[in-house]
Amino acid sequence: MQRRSLLKLGLVSGAVLALAGGAAVLLRPGLEQGRLSASARGLFASLGRAILQGTLPVDAQARSRALAGMVERIDALTANLPPAVQAELSQLLGLLCTTPGRLGLAGLAPAWADASEAQVQAALEGMRFSSLALRQQAYQALHEIVGGAYMSDESTWAALGYPGPLPL
Amino acid sequence: MGGAHGALPAKITCDVAIVGSGAGAGITAELLTQAGLAVVIVEEGPLKSSSDFHQHESEAYPSLYQESASRKTEDKAISILQGRCVGGSTTVNWTSSFRTPESTLRFWQERLGLKDYHREALAPYFDQAERRLHIAPWLTEPNENNALLHRGAQKLGISASVIARNVKGCWNLGSCGMGCPTNAKQSMLVTTIPAALDHGATLLVETRAEQFVLDGGKAQALRCVAVRPNSAPVAPGQIATTIVAKHFVLAGGAINSPAVLLRSKAPDPHALLGARTFLHPVVMSAAVPEQRVEGWAGAPQSIYTDHFMDTQPIDGPMGFKLEAPPLHPVIMATTMPGYGQPHADMLAKFPHTHVLLALLRDGFHPQAPGGQVKLRSDGSAVLDYPLTDFVMEGARRALLAMAEIQFAAGAQEVLPVHERAHPYTSWDAARSAIAALPMKPLLTKVVSAHVMGGCAMAATEAQGVVRADGGHWQIENLSVHDGSLFPTSVGANPQLSIYGIANRLAQGLAQRLTGRAVVLG
Repeated sequence: MQRRSLLKLGLVSGAVLALAGGAAVLLRPGLEQGRLSASARGLFASLGRAILQGTLPVDAQARSRALAGMVERIDALTANLPPAVQAELSQLLGLLCTTPGRLGLAGLAPAWADASEAQVQAALEGMRFSSLALRQQAYQALHEIVGGAYMSDESTWAALGYPGPLPL
Repeated sequence: MGGAHGALPAKITCDVAIVGSGAGAGITAELLTQAGLAVVIVEEGPLKSSSDFHQHESEAYPSLYQESASRKTEDKAISILQGRCVGGSTTVNWTSSFRTPESTLRFWQERLGLKDYHREALAPYFDQAERRLHIAPWLTEPNENNALLHRGAQKLGISASVIARNVKGCWNLGSCGMGCPTNAKQSMLVTTIPAALDHGATLLVETRAEQFVLDGGKAQALRCVAVRPNSAPVAPGQIATTIVAKHFVLAGGAINSPAVLLRSKAPDPHALLGARTFLHPVVMSAAVPEQRVEGWAGAPQSIYTDHFMDTQPIDGPMGFKLEAPPLHPVIMATTMPGYGQPHADMLAKFPHTHVLLALLRDGFHPQAPGGQVKLRSDGSAVLDYPLTDFVMEGARRALLAMAEIQFAAGAQEVLPVHERAHPYTSWDAARSAIAALPMKPLLTKVVSAHVMGGCAMAATEAQGVVRADGGHWQIENLSVHDGSLFPTSVGANPQLSIYGIANRLAQGLAQRLTGRAVVLG
């Protein structure tokens, strides 16, 4: 059973690469000159809603503002990554923004923008505990980028009860 | 020169070019300039100083750390914190200062034939480094995060001691990892590098040592490229400056130093270059006691215990050192596993969160051989570090030891930082849960802030990249003076080991190059 499911996952990722890893990803990378593409911005907004559920402000407008700020900070973060890391991340985000990539890598049926928090969380859970290292690595990268970027701004520190650095 | 500080000339001639500006580079630069040598220091990162340090992770990580503080091993299973700025890791480290443990030195002498590396021989060099950098035990009351380690250990009859720190007039802010805003931390940024500049050294920043031009068993020149803040070349394929020197010292830190030699296609007859790169793999345990901890406030890492190193043979199952790190929002959010409400609940407890970390002592057992530095297709360095079952067995024992100490100190719940773990409310529950955790990479959170090895020193050519005096076995006028020298991990936070050993090597080098004796201090 173990071996069979491994093979199946291998086939899925092979198919994903065949369908999306070629022309589609080359045409639509997740990063353009180190900055997030429009679809990668949408991807992170959706991931942010799911990962930070319970931490984000309850008020809908405040939540949108908080997520928009997070996406801006992710954009600044990716611009500062070394080229080799940008290339890898660009490929991952590009892949996740294609339908076959979203299905194969994240296991998510609806588009990122249409998926509920619970659906995205279920997809994250699948990646987190996948037997495929690629899916686990993707989960870890997305978790780190979203959490780190969100909490890097003082506007979000109240959720942590962090008063900020001592003024000098 | 470099970056906004001024254009680089096409060619620079000097006596000694030093790659890097961290612990080994700073000490070497001060001593060689004192001996009257014309020195050029080449640093890939930017020059930032106390007025740039605002105690914000969002500023510090992208500007002061390698790969925006998100450097990873090749399989992404270990995150590595390493400095990339003037002063290197010494600008951003947490100030913990330990002499090289005697058990480590004994292993180097007895197993690796490094006969001169014994306590008495190194003592004067450590004495000088400690005086120069104001290294002394931290006598101020520890912050609550560290006090918990002390109380828990005491309860269990485990000895825990005060850590020495390289600080002068420390304000006890707890922001060391973001660059010291008060210049209290005696990093290379405020000590040896300014001293070397006063003695006529030239500092190139935002300039990467790309490769040596090797010919006739000597390094003829060093080719450097100008880099952007994200380390992309300013002008791809273009050499910004070529440095011609009588001697070269490589001190860019482990991972980067072997990478320069790999890019240079340096002779490596025994396939040792970049091999045996060590990390002190770190696992963590988060606890919530009743009281507020405020792990962001006060000196980080002021208490430690070596109980789990000293009570077992160095070459047996992996020993580990326990310390209590600083806690800040980005580190907290990225370290705590999971998402949604359970993650939110952990974050909400931030002011009450206490974290211990365990540094696993790698490199002393055949099943903990460290990793291999490789080059990516663009020439950048990446470390392949397999987390063997042997290492992960040590990680499991470390999670157990930390949870037991935390409950003894009064924790109401303990979370071993692992994707499959939950907060446990009793030692019994934690013990059986940790015993059953799948200790696998990418499930167990593993980090590192200590990169060592990859240009190992050795008593014979077949065993190492450099000789015991730091000189390269095959390249006559090239020395390595940084943490990449170490033939095993240190078994303690490495900065003082680098200061002390680089001090001895640089005094020897100054003597060989000038006939003059110089002393640090």
